[in-house]
Amino acid sequence: MSRTIAKKWLVRSIILLLPISAMFLTLFVGRYHIGFFDVLSIIAPWNSGDQYSSDQLWTIIFQLRLPRAIAGAMIGASLAVSGAAYQGVFRNPLVNSGILGVSSGASFGASLAIVVFGGGYLNYLLSFVFGVAAVLLAYLAGRIYGSAPTITLVLGGVVVSSFFSAFTSMLKYVADPYSELPALTFWTMGSLSSIGYKHFWAFIPIIAGVGIIYLSRWKINILSMGDKEAATLGLDAKWYKVLIIGGATLSTSSAVCISGTIGWIGLIVPHICRMIVGNDNTKLIPWSMSLGATFLILIDTLSRSISTSEIPIGILTAILGTPFFVYLLKKTKGGGWK
Amino acid sequence: MNGILSVCDLSFSYPEKDVVKNVTFDMGQGDVVCLMGPNGCGKTTLLDNIMSIHQASKGEIFLMEKPLSKYNRRDVAKHMAYVPQIHQVVFPYTVEQIVMMGRTAHVGQLGEPGIKDMENCRKAMEMVGISDFAKKPYNQLSGGEIKLVLLARALSQQARLLVMDEPTANLDFKNELVFLETIVKLNMMDKLSILIATHSPVHAFYFQEKGLNVEVIMMSEGAVYSKGSPEHVITEENISNVYGVRSRIFKEMCTDGSSIRSMALLGTL
Repeated sequence: MSRTIAKKWLVRSIILLLPISAMFLTLFVGRYHIGFFDVLSIIAPWNSGDQYSSDQLWTIIFQLRLPRAIAGAMIGASLAVSGAAYQGVFRNPLVNSGILGVSSGASFGASLAIVVFGGGYLNYLLSFVFGVAAVLLAYLAGRIYGSAPTITLVLGGVVVSSFFSAFTSMLKYVADPYSELPALTFWTMGSLSSIGYKHFWAFIPIIAGVGIIYLSRWKINILSMGDKEAATLGLDAKWYKVLIIGGATLSTSSAVCISGTIGWIGLIVPHICRMIVGNDNTKLIPWSMSLGATFLILIDTLSRSISTSEIPIGILTAILGTPFFVYLLKKTKGGGWK
Repeated sequence: MNGILSVCDLSFSYPEKDVVKNVTFDMGQGDVVCLMGPNGCGKTTLLDNIMSIHQASKGEIFLMEKPLSKYNRRDVAKHMAYVPQIHQVVFPYTVEQIVMMGRTAHVGQLGEPGIKDMENCRKAMEMVGISDFAKKPYNQLSGGEIKLVLLARALSQQARLLVMDEPTANLDFKNELVFLETIVKLNMMDKLSILIATHSPVHAFYFQEKGLNVEVIMMSEGAVYSKGSPEHVITEENISNVYGVRSRIFKEMCTDGSSIRSMALLGTL
């Protein structure tokens, strides 16, 4: 028995240490070259910024690299966990965190803010509001006889997504091609470049949403057996579905509104975890959190350091993630899928 | 009555049509009730009412002598467990993880199963003899093994009443018999009550021959056509009236002196 407990704690510490070490590593990397020992001496706890000779280096590390790393961890974790939760609740391994229209709704909100209101804080507000509104619309569209069956809910998400995408395209069409369009395009491909401490308020709903999913993670196993069986097993399926979908929507839309739409993570990271630890959500959810966070921190590090201008994250996630995913697929022989 | 389950004048209708009409029956501890009837006669709908998936339009159901409407889902699941008919699992969980799901009603609102639940789950797997493949992915099992896993899941629920909807459909007869033998064992050892929807008259005869307290309820178009002991209900006349099939029912003497009934199909009417 003590060996299983030891193993449990080992796994827990790996889950925790992965994103923390990624966060630590990313402080050393960037376009502006700072020597290894310089970074070490700046981040050493006995140094406070004002004592240090170069304020500039301190600013780069603590005002640019660190907040991005923390935000990357939060956003990556929330997208991956929401994706895993949606897959379980909708009993469909192909859905991702944008399945109910969060991303397209948020994109529309951001476009509206950029094109019509000139950006600024409205950008965050509108993308959050429309992200949540899109999910509510999808729910209303998929509702039949007062309950929302899984299939119609997903269908509702698909049509609502295309509805908002159409409006986004319309806004792109009328946007000023020199000032507004680049901002808009950049937003829809995702980036952490503008994130600073002032955006950390968004972590409150992100943590709340991820926390809800984390606490009800075992129930996702039950929900994935379908409503009737969940009911006969003694679970109030409707209530837990609302709770988990609500949590996933809250955290995804908060993440999207500060980072833009980052595709891919919500679909592929949960699957990478399924191959490594299996489908039991008690393990899958913590691992998705950890790997989602780690993955986005590393991708963001690359996006800001491999060329003079930032590369949008959406491009990198797909280019780097796909070969890695295929490798894992072959290595684990599909991870139990047949 | 030492009632486990009691269904009183139950009716249920969808907006378009009546599906279950005035069904009444009682089950005591250790009773086995075989629910028979042609496809679409309302067996599954009746079971759904009993498991409070649907709300009855008329009549009442008593579980442990308390109205079903007074229970919440968790408490229903502590008294009544379900072995489903068809089963698709989207995610390849392991056998152990599936059986563990039976503990839902015993695990807290938030949180996951603990050591007590694992112990329970291990016992359930031992009881139906599937401990050997506890770690195997569910989607790599054969049809017979899947049914035993679902039975183990129902056992880990620790309910006194097992509800089964055509559990042996699509099994070969060896696997069918393994499943039936397991049911008989559970009924004898733990006095579990079993409500089983089945197409096979052989099941009722088999349970009877093993000395279980069997009642057959034959349904036709949503209503109870006949109920009572197997030889009283499963007659050539009733089979012809309810199923529209000509049949012969005969009694076979076994070498050990016991006898068992069987049915041969002759043709449709």
